[in-house]
Amino acid sequence: MALVAEGLSKTYTTGVGRRPVQALDRLDLRVARGTVFGLLGPNGAGKTTLVKLALGIARATAGRVEVLGRPAGDVPIRARIGYLPENHRYPAHLTGGQVLHYFGQLSGLGEPERSKRVEALLRRVRMDEWRDTAVRRYSKGMMQRLGMAQAILNEPDLLILDEPTDGVDPVGRREIRDLLLEQKARGATIFLNSHLLSEVERLCDRVAILKEGKLVREGHVDDLTRGAANVWEIDVAGGDDARLAAALQQAGGPGIPPPVPGRDGARTLVVTGETEDLNRTIDAVRAAGLSIAAVRARRESLEDVFVKIVRDGEAA
Amino acid sequence: MKIRAILVDTARELLYRKTLIFYFGIVTLTHLLLLLALQTDVANGVITGVSLFGLEGSANPHGFALGAGGGAPTDIDAATLVRGIQIAMTWTLYPIGVMLGIFATASLIPHMLEKGTIDLLLSKPVSRPVLFGSRYLGALLVAGANLLYFVCGVGVILAFKTGVWNGGFFLAGLLMTVYFGALLAFLVLVGSLLRSTTIGIMSCAAVYFVSLMVAFPHANADWPALLTSKVSRFTTQAVVEILYHALPRTYEIGSMVTSLVLNKPIVSWMPVFWTLLSGAGALALAIVHFRRTDF
Repeated sequence: MALVAEGLSKTYTTGVGRRPVQALDRLDLRVARGTVFGLLGPNGAGKTTLVKLALGIARATAGRVEVLGRPAGDVPIRARIGYLPENHRYPAHLTGGQVLHYFGQLSGLGEPERSKRVEALLRRVRMDEWRDTAVRRYSKGMMQRLGMAQAILNEPDLLILDEPTDGVDPVGRREIRDLLLEQKARGATIFLNSHLLSEVERLCDRVAILKEGKLVREGHVDDLTRGAANVWEIDVAGGDDARLAAALQQAGGPGIPPPVPGRDGARTLVVTGETEDLNRTIDAVRAAGLSIAAVRARRESLEDVFVKIVRDGEAA
Repeated sequence: MKIRAILVDTARELLYRKTLIFYFGIVTLTHLLLLLALQTDVANGVITGVSLFGLEGSANPHGFALGAGGGAPTDIDAATLVRGIQIAMTWTLYPIGVMLGIFATASLIPHMLEKGTIDLLLSKPVSRPVLFGSRYLGALLVAGANLLYFVCGVGVILAFKTGVWNGGFFLAGLLMTVYFGALLAFLVLVGSLLRSTTIGIMSCAAVYFVSLMVAFPHANADWPALLTSKVSRFTTQAVVEILYHALPRTYEIGSMVTSLVLNKPIVSWMPVFWTLLSGAGALALAIVHFRRTDF
């Protein structure tokens, strides 16, 4: 396992007379090696706290967290971790190249390997022309690209990214996604904190949703977006409504709602049930001499699932 | 490699913040002024006349006579004159040099602890004590080097101008650097606790003056008798003694610096030990706090 959290709790005590804030509440989570894992949740759900506990930046109130087989806070293991914090700040007095060399040195990367990697990464994130420019002159997008280069400089086994595409334009987002896929192909585990659910849906194998410090849902992206029942949409091309209604009556089975108008004069049928029900409906439509233009499984987007869970309080 | 990287980065940050360059500029300006303002006449290896900022001294059978036109002969010899200049420099620039060093380095710890910076540093395979200690050491090396540059510069200029080499002045410079190191430890302690540059500077000034003030009641055994209330007497005495023992020995170090410059014997080196201990205690407290803090 790349990351294991068991009964993990964190309570922040902010000052005398103030109520303690429970950021994490008995969290159990396991992230397998070589996967891309997405951690979702509204602001204040405890996502960043979990990352901080895993890296030893903060300490757990109860429970334990293990990273790459070692307890959180273990110093040597951090040489195998890459991290990009949210709103990261690099020393304003350094240039882009100096930032990578500095953090490379702190990661224990010696020469000439460090210089080789710095140059290659600056080219990879298209920052080689800005190598000698002070980072205080960088735009938000440039800072994120430099941040990505910094995070993968030591070729980490575990890459922890907190909002990596924050402030990045669509082209930059695509580049970061490609970079992450390269890291996955290399065998790295990627732990992604992001509000950009479309990015998470495209990249992640598994996701977990946190709410008020508790894990409310965890699983494969496919499982989460499939919904409670199997739903298909059948686009029927041409033909009149009477023939279609007769065909549906013949198909029987579950109640199929009346067809709705689709594109190019087609009618769309929504079939809910098992695969058998789908096949019986298709057979009936074909037997009525009607042409099927498309059949597709209806899925919820990750955003739909997220909003349901977070806003509507849907149970796990 | 990691410690070296932090030291180099600390030096780069200090240069970037310009306070250190300003400090370096002031010291260099002082050197230049001294170089230009101090004129000596040397004949056959002997000083026959000295002029400092227009104040002239000329040789006579008794030594040097100071003031315009020679004035009445006094028994000041060249070495005494040089030491006098060095003492004036030391008393004036001892506190200024130390406090400039504090100004120059005060922002280092608060900046390191800013959100987004500290997270990244703590994610690297560097232990917290090494990270904090290296930052302190970097500040001490850079600001301490500046302090030594000031002292050694003054010493060398005076030596070349007058032919009088005073080893005690250079030793006094080292002692000032030790004292600066102790005060810097208090600065990083406050920086770690409160994450404020301004409060760090104010605290150092407070440590400097309070440690200077408590030396007098500590040395005078009779003063508690002035307080009639037993509680007040006990409390005040306890506060004075605690502060005296916990803070650097500013007064004693100042006296030692004077003795070194005047080539007088040092009665006891213990104040240096206590100052080092005080600084080490403050640094240890800062590191313990930094180790235990959640960011």
